[in-house]
Amino acid sequence: MKRHLLRACLAFGLLAAPQVTQAQAQAPRPLVWGDTLPATLDPHAIFDVPSQFVLLNVYDGLYRYQGNPPRLEPWLAESHTVSADGLTWDFTLRAGVKFHDGSVMTAEDVVYSFRRLLTMNRGPASAFTPVLAPERVTATGPLSVRFVLSSAYAPFLSAMPLVAIVNPRAIAPNVANNDWGAAWLAVNSAGSGAYSVVAGNYQTRVSLDIQRFADFFRGWAGNPRPVETVRVRPVMETSTRVLALLRGEIDATDSYLPTDQVERVERNARTRVARDESMRVFTIRMNNMRAPFNNRDARLCLTHAFNYEGFNNVILRGFVVRNAGPNPNNLWGNPPDLAPYAFDLAKAREHCDRARAAGVDFSRPLEIHVQNELEQTVQAAQMFQADLRRVGITLRIVPNTWPGITGSTSRSETTPDMWIHWVSTYFVDPENWVGQMYDSQFHGTWKASSWYSNPEVDRLLRAARTNLSQEERQRLYAEATRLVVADAPDIWVYNTVNLRGLTRRVQGYSFSPVGSGGEIRLMSLTE
Amino acid sequence: MLRYIARRIALALPALFGLVVLTFILSRVIPGDPAATLAGDSATPAQLADIRARYGLDRPIMEQAWVHMRQVLSGDLGNSIFSGRPVAEDIARRLPATLELTFVALLIATCLGIPLGLVAALNHNGPIDHLVRVLSVGGLAVASFWLAIMLQLQFSMEWDVLPLRGRMDVPLGMPARVTGFLLIDTLLAGRGDMFVDALRHLVLPGVTLALPGLATIARFTRSGVLEALQKDYVLYARAAGYGRFRLATIFVLRNAITVTVTQIGLLFGALISGAVAIEAVFDWPGLGTYAVQAILSADYKALLAVTLVVGVIYAVVNVLVDIAQAMIDPRVALQ
Repeated sequence: MKRHLLRACLAFGLLAAPQVTQAQAQAPRPLVWGDTLPATLDPHAIFDVPSQFVLLNVYDGLYRYQGNPPRLEPWLAESHTVSADGLTWDFTLRAGVKFHDGSVMTAEDVVYSFRRLLTMNRGPASAFTPVLAPERVTATGPLSVRFVLSSAYAPFLSAMPLVAIVNPRAIAPNVANNDWGAAWLAVNSAGSGAYSVVAGNYQTRVSLDIQRFADFFRGWAGNPRPVETVRVRPVMETSTRVLALLRGEIDATDSYLPTDQVERVERNARTRVARDESMRVFTIRMNNMRAPFNNRDARLCLTHAFNYEGFNNVILRGFVVRNAGPNPNNLWGNPPDLAPYAFDLAKAREHCDRARAAGVDFSRPLEIHVQNELEQTVQAAQMFQADLRRVGITLRIVPNTWPGITGSTSRSETTPDMWIHWVSTYFVDPENWVGQMYDSQFHGTWKASSWYSNPEVDRLLRAARTNLSQEERQRLYAEATRLVVADAPDIWVYNTVNLRGLTRRVQGYSFSPVGSGGEIRLMSLTE
Repeated sequence: MLRYIARRIALALPALFGLVVLTFILSRVIPGDPAATLAGDSATPAQLADIRARYGLDRPIMEQAWVHMRQVLSGDLGNSIFSGRPVAEDIARRLPATLELTFVALLIATCLGIPLGLVAALNHNGPIDHLVRVLSVGGLAVASFWLAIMLQLQFSMEWDVLPLRGRMDVPLGMPARVTGFLLIDTLLAGRGDMFVDALRHLVLPGVTLALPGLATIARFTRSGVLEALQKDYVLYARAAGYGRFRLATIFVLRNAITVTVTQIGLLFGALISGAVAIEAVFDWPGLGTYAVQAILSADYKALLAVTLVVGVIYAVVNVLVDIAQAMIDPRVALQ
C-alpha cells in the first residue's frame, strides 16, 4: 500500500514540476503575441481591428500609416499624382519589391489586388466601391498604376493603406469555383510583408506563426535585433490573458487591458503597460428618427444626464481622454476649441421640461443595447440608468452582441433606441468619423445608426469629400462637426487611451492608432 | 436485442431531424446579421444587399431551412461565412481537443466519484459520509468558471506548479497531428517531454470539468450502495464471513453500480456541452471556444454545425447507454 502511495506521489511530482527540455533551454523564446486573430487571413475578405495585424505584418499596401498621430507614408508606392478634377490618380511603384516566394512585384500585381478586392466586394472594399469600378484600375507601365474614379473622392489616398497587395502567382494555382483563391488565402498568405506565415501551423482564431522575411523591401538596417519568430496565441478570457502575461506565457495582451488591471501589471517586475492615446471614440448612439430622440431638447436632456467625469475618471480611472465630438480630439479637421457637454442634471431637467412642453412623452422606458462581452458598455449603461432616473427617465438595459446590434441598424424601425460602441481608426480622415456617421447618405449602415439628418451638414460633408484642398477640407469638416455637436445626435464620451500589457523583454514597441501598435518589424527582444 | 437496438436508433433519428430544423430557425430569427459582420465596418447598404444575395441570406427563412436540410442530409455542413472554409474541417480540428478534455474529466470523475460514494455509504451518517455529501453538494453548486479561475490563481500563479492555459507550452511547439489527441500524438512522435507537458495542461481544466460529474457519480454510487447493503445477499455474505473490503467490492459495488454506469454515459454528453465555459477560461482550443466565437461573430453556419455535432454525440451516447442498460438488465429490452 505504501509503495502505491509513493508511486502516486512521484507521478504527481513529475506532473507538477515545470518541464524544461534541453532544446527549450537553448532555443531563444519566440515572441508570443496574445492579441486576437481575425476569422480569416485573407486581407481582402475582412475589415476589422484584428485583421490589421495580418495586414501590417504579412502584407504591404501602397501607402502606410506610421506613428502617432499617424502620418501617411509612401510604402510600396514611391509617389503619386492626382488630376485637377480629382478623378485620375497615378501611382509610381517602388522597384525590386519581393513577395515571400521571391517573385518581384509589378504594376499588374497591384491591378490584380484591387480588382480582386472590388470584385469580391467584402471588408475593405466598401471604402472604394462607391467611386471605383474594377476595370478602372489599370497598369500604365511596369511600375505605374492608374485609378480613374467615377467621382472625386478626397479620402481616396487616406483609405489606400487598407488594401493589401497580394501575389497573384501564389494565388492562381489555388483558385477554386471562381473564388479568387479566397478559400486558400483564408489559411495561407501571399504577401511581401516583413513576416511570412509559417505554412501548416495556422489554425483559425487559435494560432498563427509568422517568421521574419529576410528580403523585406525596406530591409532590416533600422532594427539590428529583429524578432525572428512570432507565435500569435489569442487568449479569450480577460482574466486568463492578464494572468498569462504576468506569468510570462504571453508577451503582449490586446490593447484594451481593463483599467483595473493596469496597476497590477505595472507592479509585476517583468511586465509593463504601454499607454497611448488612440483615435477610438466611445459613443452612445440615439435613434434620431424615433421619439423622444427626434427632439433636440430631449437629446440635450440625455446628453447632460451622463456623468462623464465619474465614468472617465472613476470607473475608467482616468485612462481615457474626454472627447467633445464624434472626431477624435487629435484628428485634423476637428475644431480644437470644441467644448464638451457637461454632466449637469439641472440643465438636463430644463431641457426635458422644454421637450415635454413641446409634446415629447418620456413615459415609456427607453432601451439601451450593450455589448455584453464588453464590460465598459455595461458599466456606462448602468451609470446612465441611475442618473436618468433622477430626471424622471427610465432606461432599460438590453444585453446584445456586436452582430446582433449592427444587424438591426439597417432600418430605423429596427435600430435600438440607444446603443454603445467605439468607432475605431480604419483610415485617418474625418470621413471615417463625422463623414460616415452623420451624412444621411450612409443611413442603413451601423456607423450612421443615429439616423441623423441635417441638409446643411450633408452639404458640408459632401463638399469636403470631393474637395482636394486639405485646407478647405479641414474648414468644411470643422464647420460640419460644430453643427453636429450643437444638434447632439449622439453622446460622445471619450477618446481611448490604448492600454497594452507587455513583458519588459519586448523592446521597440511603437504605437499607431492604425493597427494599435501591432507592427512587429519595429520590435526586438531582450532575454 | 437487435430489434431493441434498431428501435433505439430509429427513435434517435427524428430527434436529430428536429434538432437540425429547430436550431436553423433559432439561429436565423435571433438578432444578428452575418452580412453586416462579413461586410465589415463602413459597409454600404448596397454592399450589404450584395452579400445577402450572394449567401442566400435574402431568401425566405423556410427556403433557407430547406437548402440547409438538403446540405446536411448530403453530409455537407457548409462553409464558414467568414473564412469560406468547410466548417466540417474546422470542427474536425477542434473536436479532438474537446473529446480529450472530456475523457480525462470523465476518468477523474469516475475514478474518484465511485470510491468516494462507496466509502461514504459504508460510513453511513459518519463524518466521512457527511464530508462526501458536503463535497457533492458543493461540486454541483459551484460555478465552474469561478472554480477555474480559483484553481488558476492557486496552482499556476501562487504555487507555479501547473500551466495556466492552452494545451501545450508555446515554445515547445506541437507534435505532428495524427489523431488530434495530444496524449496520443506526442507518444506517436516519441516525445515524452511533450506527453508530460500535455498531461500537465490537462490537470486544471480536467479537474474543473470533472467536479460536477464527480459529485453526481459519488451521490449515485452512495445511494446505490446504501440500497444494496439492505439486501439479503449482503447479510448472508456477511454471515459467511466475508471481510468488509471484499464484501463491498465483490458483492455490494457490483450490484449497486448499474445506475451509476447509466449516469456516466449521460455525463459524457453533459461534459461536452459543459466544456464551453471551461474551454474559454483555460483557452482550450476545442469545440466550446469555437461555438463562442461563432456566436459572437454571427457565423451561423459554424454554430449550426457545432450544435448538430454535439447533438449527434448526445444521441449516440444515449443509444449506447440504452444498449448497456439492456445488457446489464435484460428486462429493459423486453419492455
